[in-house]
Amino acid sequence: MLAENYSGSDGLTRRAALGLGAAAALLPRAALAQAALAQAGGGAVLIMNSGAASLSVIDMATRRETRRIPVLREPHHWALTPDRKELLIGDSSGNELQVLDPVTFAVLRRMPVSNPYHLAFSPNGKLFVVAGLARNQVDVYEAGTYKLLKRFPIRSMPSHMDFAADSSVVFLSLQGTGRIAAIDLRSLDVLWNEECGSAPAGVLVHGSRVLAGNMGSDDVAVLDAKTGKLLRRIRTGKGAHTLFWAPDRKTIWVNNRLDPVSVVVLDAATLDPVRRYRLPGGPDDLEFAPDGKIWFTMRFIHKVAVLDPGSGDYTTVDVGRSPHGIFLNPRAIASA
Amino acid sequence: MIPLFDTAAGWLQETLLLPLLFSLGLIQWEDISFGWALFAVYGAAQVVVTFTICVPLERWRPVERWPNAQAVVVDVIYTFVSRVGLLPLITFVLFFKLQVELNGTLTDIGWVPPTLERLFPFLFGKPVLTFLIYAVILDFGEYWRHRLSHAFRWWYSLHALHHAQRQMTFWSDDRNHLLDDIIGFAWFTAIALLIGVPPMQFPLLVLLLRLIESLSHANARVSYGWLGERLLVSPRFHRAHHGVTAAGEVSVNYGAVLPWWDMLFRTADFSREFVQTGDPTAEEALATGGYFTQQWVGARRMVRGIFGSKPRESG
Repeated sequence: MLAENYSGSDGLTRRAALGLGAAAALLPRAALAQAALAQAGGGAVLIMNSGAASLSVIDMATRRETRRIPVLREPHHWALTPDRKELLIGDSSGNELQVLDPVTFAVLRRMPVSNPYHLAFSPNGKLFVVAGLARNQVDVYEAGTYKLLKRFPIRSMPSHMDFAADSSVVFLSLQGTGRIAAIDLRSLDVLWNEECGSAPAGVLVHGSRVLAGNMGSDDVAVLDAKTGKLLRRIRTGKGAHTLFWAPDRKTIWVNNRLDPVSVVVLDAATLDPVRRYRLPGGPDDLEFAPDGKIWFTMRFIHKVAVLDPGSGDYTTVDVGRSPHGIFLNPRAIASA
Repeated sequence: MIPLFDTAAGWLQETLLLPLLFSLGLIQWEDISFGWALFAVYGAAQVVVTFTICVPLERWRPVERWPNAQAVVVDVIYTFVSRVGLLPLITFVLFFKLQVELNGTLTDIGWVPPTLERLFPFLFGKPVLTFLIYAVILDFGEYWRHRLSHAFRWWYSLHALHHAQRQMTFWSDDRNHLLDDIIGFAWFTAIALLIGVPPMQFPLLVLLLRLIESLSHANARVSYGWLGERLLVSPRFHRAHHGVTAAGEVSVNYGAVLPWWDMLFRTADFSREFVQTGDPTAEEALATGGYFTQQWVGARRMVRGIFGSKPRESG
């Protein structure tokens, strides 16, 4: 039996605004940044509004949207370059990457890329992988040059990915066919492609195992990373979706799209559920803030939720339609 | 208002659609269903707005009064099918899929797909302005589609269903043969793809244009004045297109939203007052039959149109 924790509070916590006032407008950007960082709980969160063709910048201190950055069509996920100097936003139906400064969120340039839905650099920083969900393709690029090394036409709906720690393999969920595929990044061959359940979304590598959230059922599938053999299922709730490591890697956080719409915490050692937070509104991607709070995008209510994992209370911040990806940077500057 | 609609769509998605998709084993289409939820909510709102505007207008200054308005009921069915039901779903799914494939392929071969924002960078981040520009371009396309639907006999055989209504009201805008709707959708989609309309804007553009088109079909003695009628299609202007003498392969006032194209291509007729509507050449079933009867008779009429025999005149 899970310990359930639910707070009915759904309104914006109205803190005193920490705006720097008119004088701040006269400060140079660097000074403004310093001033911003000096504030308790400073930094900014960038939200990918997939249904609004925009990015919302939220001031972490005031929990207010400070600006909105237009993108071409449909931003979903992001990747930080290995040198951490560029933040790539995948605009899937816009067929481009919008490259931002991860501190100021200034737009640096745009790169045409075919259907970038989910994207990530391999841990060793040498490869860049793009899952094209709508085009049934997985593209492997050379990081830095963004030269396409190989395209894997793959059925169907490649959705999310994660890498083996040594960067040898990338694991992808195939949402349309209920499978997980493993691609060898040294030989650029498909290692295995195995059934894992129904409509898998999030993928997480856990040592020698691969975890996948089965959105079409009520479980997280655990597969052997070498063979793809199904080892066990962990019931988390209907519509299990994305999975994330906590920063201390002691727990794994799983979002459930359906009954109950919630976030379930798994003990990373045993993979047993240890706590559930009810979070109606379509919890999706999440980020852990340095102050211990957890920020979630809420796809169906056009908000971001900020959860206090201790009390289970959460507050919300209004953003654009269908917020999906979330990038949290305690050093980022929220103001324009 | 927009946050309210979005919230309603979110509720629809989480409470009804996701459980339904889950039980059908189709939950991988959750993004698509959310898109449909948004358009269904906007479509329903548009029907309500149209109803709120047009019903008082039609009661205040009706062009015609009918002792029995039974023929209007089937137009109500057409409206709900077209605006809230299946059509928004099909348009969004097909348009989204087509655009992803087309643009992705173009990107692959090194050619960045065209969008207004790329051609005119100052439009980037100005969604309202680009939305309006897209609307004007699409309306131009609609003028020509409509004009051609009158020019070809087989096509007009389908389109006659739209013109057969003698009790024309704001509900009549969506009374179209399914095949005519499909052709119209393909036409509209091709133009939208060519100019790079964003997927989420596409059904909203359809809804905006349809709102004005509904008003132009109203059974209301409403004119926008000399200047207004040259800026926006009015009930008086469009009624001339539905007049019994304008039905068939040569007509006037083809414009859907903007009368500019009729003025430009010399098909505008601002002189006609509130004429009687209907198509004397159409079978009676097209005017007063039920939904499925109208679909069947329309299809049969089209086949005859293709093979050259003249459609049977109404009895």
